[in-house]
Amino acid sequence: MKTDDLIRALAADTQAEPPPPRLILIGLIPALAIAVALVWVTFGFRDDLLQSFGNPWSVMRFVLTGTLGLIGVRLALVLARPEGRGLGLLWPFAAVAAVALGLLVWAYLATPAEGRQMALLGKTLVTCLVAIPVLSILPVTAILVALRKGATTTPALAGFVAGLGGSGFGAMAYSVHCVEDSPLFYVTWYGLAMVGVTLVSTLIGARFLRW
Amino acid sequence: MDDWGKLLAAANSGDGRAYARFLRTITPVLRGVVRAKGSALGEAGCEDVLQEVLLAVHLKRHTWEVGAPVRPWLYAITRYKVVDAFRTRGRSIDLPIEEFADDLAAEAGPDPTEAADMAKMIGMLDGRSAKIVQMIGMDGASTAETGQALRMSEGAVRVALHRALKALAVLRERHVK
Repeated sequence: MKTDDLIRALAADTQAEPPPPRLILIGLIPALAIAVALVWVTFGFRDDLLQSFGNPWSVMRFVLTGTLGLIGVRLALVLARPEGRGLGLLWPFAAVAAVALGLLVWAYLATPAEGRQMALLGKTLVTCLVAIPVLSILPVTAILVALRKGATTTPALAGFVAGLGGSGFGAMAYSVHCVEDSPLFYVTWYGLAMVGVTLVSTLIGARFLRW
Repeated sequence: MDDWGKLLAAANSGDGRAYARFLRTITPVLRGVVRAKGSALGEAGCEDVLQEVLLAVHLKRHTWEVGAPVRPWLYAITRYKVVDAFRTRGRSIDLPIEEFADDLAAEAGPDPTEAADMAKMIGMLDGRSAKIVQMIGMDGASTAETGQALRMSEGAVRVALHRALKALAVLRERHVK
């Protein structure tokens, strides 16, 4: 086939795909709604949800996880374009991680020595480590699918961003149920669950986001 | 916005003529990049790679943001596809950003090189899709004429053409690996 012939065929195809921002919204909004609904149906919201908003340590859970989610979306939009690349893009994630670690240290110092182990291990450790990855499946998938329709030139990095952002949303959804308000608990175990999801998503991205 | 930006913006809002001009404008530049790097593949081999790049540009054109500079966007796609094409042909290639310059532009030559791979992929499409691509590409038919010949509505031809081009890219991936 001559290149001129190919160009004629390409130029005749005027069907355009939607741009990446719309794709992410279309997938992510229902994904979040379903994740929250799933928490409501399986676990129920915590009884003192409204009062918990008066507790700064509890509120920080929503702030940290939600911020990770929004950063994930923002970076996915950058990486959905072929010219978006480079590890330097990840600094906002590092900033959130630094705040979370700061909070962990602060909580360690603020918790009396005899209460630390209880605060760290909590009572819902296993539920947390299972629920957050499960709740992350839809948000992570929504971001990965939008990235796949984009044109990332760094598939593994894009998978990483989808994993961390999507699991941020998954953890945020879980937060409306979880009563473990100590950063000793949630920075550690939410963090561990999210790292696991992110690793898997990075591996998926490296394969699934090639084009 | 530069000329390329204007053409691509018009193209993305459905102006087929502007789009054809855009593709014809970038083709010599992309051909130059591919040839500068892939002389070992020969002219026909380079034309194969060039066509892969053009197909990728086509299928990913919605990822260009109106107002953003076209060249970095186009180069990122080209680099990604060229590196991929060379890797699948068992060669590695180093393609630094600076080498994307308009002055590499290369015309196809008096006797435009016939590339073989794309024709092979078209042969793997289902019969009707292959016919549509062939009529519009090789025979220069319009979508309306193609629709009449195949007893399809023009809209159905457009949808089928779009699907066929997407399928070509997928076949390409599978075929080479």
